[in-house]
Amino acid sequence: MTLQNRSAPAPTLPGRAIEISGLNKWYGAHHVLRDISLDIAESEIMVVCGPSGSGKSTLIRCLNHLEEYQEGQVSVFGHPLQRNAQSNRYIHQTIGMVFQSFNLFPHLSVLQNCTLGLTWLRKKSDREARDIAMSLLDRVGIADLADRFPGQISGGQQQRVAISRSLAMEPKIMLFDEPTSALDPEMVKEVLDVMVNLAKTGMTMVCVTHEMQFARQVADRVVFMQDGEIVEVGPPEQVLLNPQWDRTKEFLDHIL
Amino acid sequence: MSNQTGLKQFVAKPARLPTQNEQNIIRRIRSRCFNTIGNSILTIAVVVLAWYVIRAALDWAVFDAVWHASTRRECMNISPDGACWAGVISWFNGLIYGRYPAEQQWRVNLGFILAVMWLFPLSCQKIAYRNFILLSWIALYPFFGAYLFLGGSFRGDIGIVHAVLTCLASGFFILLYTNWLLAVLNKPHLCQMLQPLASRLFNRGSQTLCLLLVWALLSLPVAVVLSQAQLQPVAIERWGGLFLTMIIATFAITMSIPIGVVLALGRQSTLPVIHWLSLLVIELVRAVPLITVLFMAVTLLPIFLPSDVELNKLSQVLFAVCIFAGAYMAENIRGGLQAIPRGQYEAAQSLGLGYGFTMLLIVLPQALRLMIPNIMTSFISILKDTTLVSIIGLFDIMLMARNIANDKDWIGLHTEPIAMISILFFVLCYSMSQYSLNLEKRLKVDRS
Repeated sequence: MTLQNRSAPAPTLPGRAIEISGLNKWYGAHHVLRDISLDIAESEIMVVCGPSGSGKSTLIRCLNHLEEYQEGQVSVFGHPLQRNAQSNRYIHQTIGMVFQSFNLFPHLSVLQNCTLGLTWLRKKSDREARDIAMSLLDRVGIADLADRFPGQISGGQQQRVAISRSLAMEPKIMLFDEPTSALDPEMVKEVLDVMVNLAKTGMTMVCVTHEMQFARQVADRVVFMQDGEIVEVGPPEQVLLNPQWDRTKEFLDHIL
Repeated sequence: MSNQTGLKQFVAKPARLPTQNEQNIIRRIRSRCFNTIGNSILTIAVVVLAWYVIRAALDWAVFDAVWHASTRRECMNISPDGACWAGVISWFNGLIYGRYPAEQQWRVNLGFILAVMWLFPLSCQKIAYRNFILLSWIALYPFFGAYLFLGGSFRGDIGIVHAVLTCLASGFFILLYTNWLLAVLNKPHLCQMLQPLASRLFNRGSQTLCLLLVWALLSLPVAVVLSQAQLQPVAIERWGGLFLTMIIATFAITMSIPIGVVLALGRQSTLPVIHWLSLLVIELVRAVPLITVLFMAVTLLPIFLPSDVELNKLSQVLFAVCIFAGAYMAENIRGGLQAIPRGQYEAAQSLGLGYGFTMLLIVLPQALRLMIPNIMTSFISILKDTTLVSIIGLFDIMLMARNIANDKDWIGLHTEPIAMISILFFVLCYSMSQYSLNLEKRLKVDRS
């Protein structure tokens, strides 16, 4: 059933950004991802939701090779993921990631967090890197905090820095792993606003989130996962308002 | 909203200053030291004991002490119960410089002053090539120092490599201070000034080429001057005292960090050969007392080396102390590495930083900062452990102190020299620990 759901929507979008086929992953004997097949189109906003332990985070961590998987194939813009440095370099150049716990580098200032990759990997001059980072920080509305350290700013601000840090490397795809789950309710909105703005620029985004409002507003498709399997895929109106499966209904009743 | 529902509007209270705690010293002492009968008895007992100990110590060291005398016999005649500092004073130069010739001791002073001066420009934030200062100090200064302390001339006693490195070190030192001066005056640094010339010479204005050019230009006049100079040679066997202790300790301290980092990373490596090799070195060295490592270095190392290579005792000892300090440092650093959350590695990886960059830019800076207290403790114990080299016959400060008792004028003078070097070591170690506290405050990982 999952295959039918997958192939139905969004055929008009240009090229495939990510293709996942037959992905299986075990932690020891624990089967965390079961036969996941999913295509994500370029410029598509995909929201992944589901109860905790359903394998959503593991799935998107497999996409940029933070996790190894035992079976299946993931391709990014036609490049199959392999276990070698060259493939990893391509993947990390193409895919940016934002984490639940921000993972900013605490010993570097906000600005240095954003310029690090530019100066050391892209070999930009200090001034150039600084200009790029400042324009990104300005876009997420925290240019005035550039000289602070991560420990000195709020969670919402830290997450916005983390988004800028990823964007500085000019990725084509952004992965969001529960970006607002560690935030106070007051700060969730400022991060979601940044994500909505990013979605408008045509970035391909895969977001694991429980923010159904966000999903309804910007998502092209919503994936519902349960026990390592994709239960339902479809446009947000269909999955969120009119779910086909009881398990999806139950989950949505809890969360909304 | 609140007005509509009829609730009172919230108005924040004005801020107040905290209430003053009006406790003077006498009250505070009374409330802490004499609050119960038991505490009162304890306080009085401690004060009385401290009074006796301190008074006896002061009587011996200050009030009954003899400062001017020519022999120990004279000291005893003047004051039999007091310290005989006269012996320590007459041997003071020996304690500091060992058996270094008296008329050449200015070279040791100069070397020490230059070593400290080399690091001064670090205080300037905007100096060009700030990252290279410490690196040059570790990589270049030892050659310059060795030339200065050993003496000799470029034509005869000193190898060509050593001579070139000495000139490069001096050239870098001049470059450093010129750049510092220019940075203070807000002028572009030397390399920027010579950029047009360099770009004409090499067809492209590469920063690195320009730096090398300036460096070479500055080193040349030094080479000309030094090749004419003739310093009186001083054999390594004549080095000693605090001078030698400082050489060994500084060497071990600076080398222990890179050795420790390599061993710690090696131990965490997934490659089995590297992992087991690092583990072997760390565990073997840590399981053996320093004194045995020293003896092994002196007796065993020459057997492993090719027969035509002859090492002097100092380099054997330096090798042993560095390996020993490095093995201990490796475990300190491993502790720091383990304290870095996985998220940091993942964030670095998802930015595309490879293993080298991740370690160099993200993990090691945090791990080393976290471990500053432990690392400093290791440094202090390295400094104190260097006194063991006296046992294998290097004339470090400890052996010099014991030698005083063998001098025919000061025969049997044991306590005062030991007290003297205890004070010296206390001053050194205490300033190191204070510096580490300062460093910890300045380099806190999580600045909140």
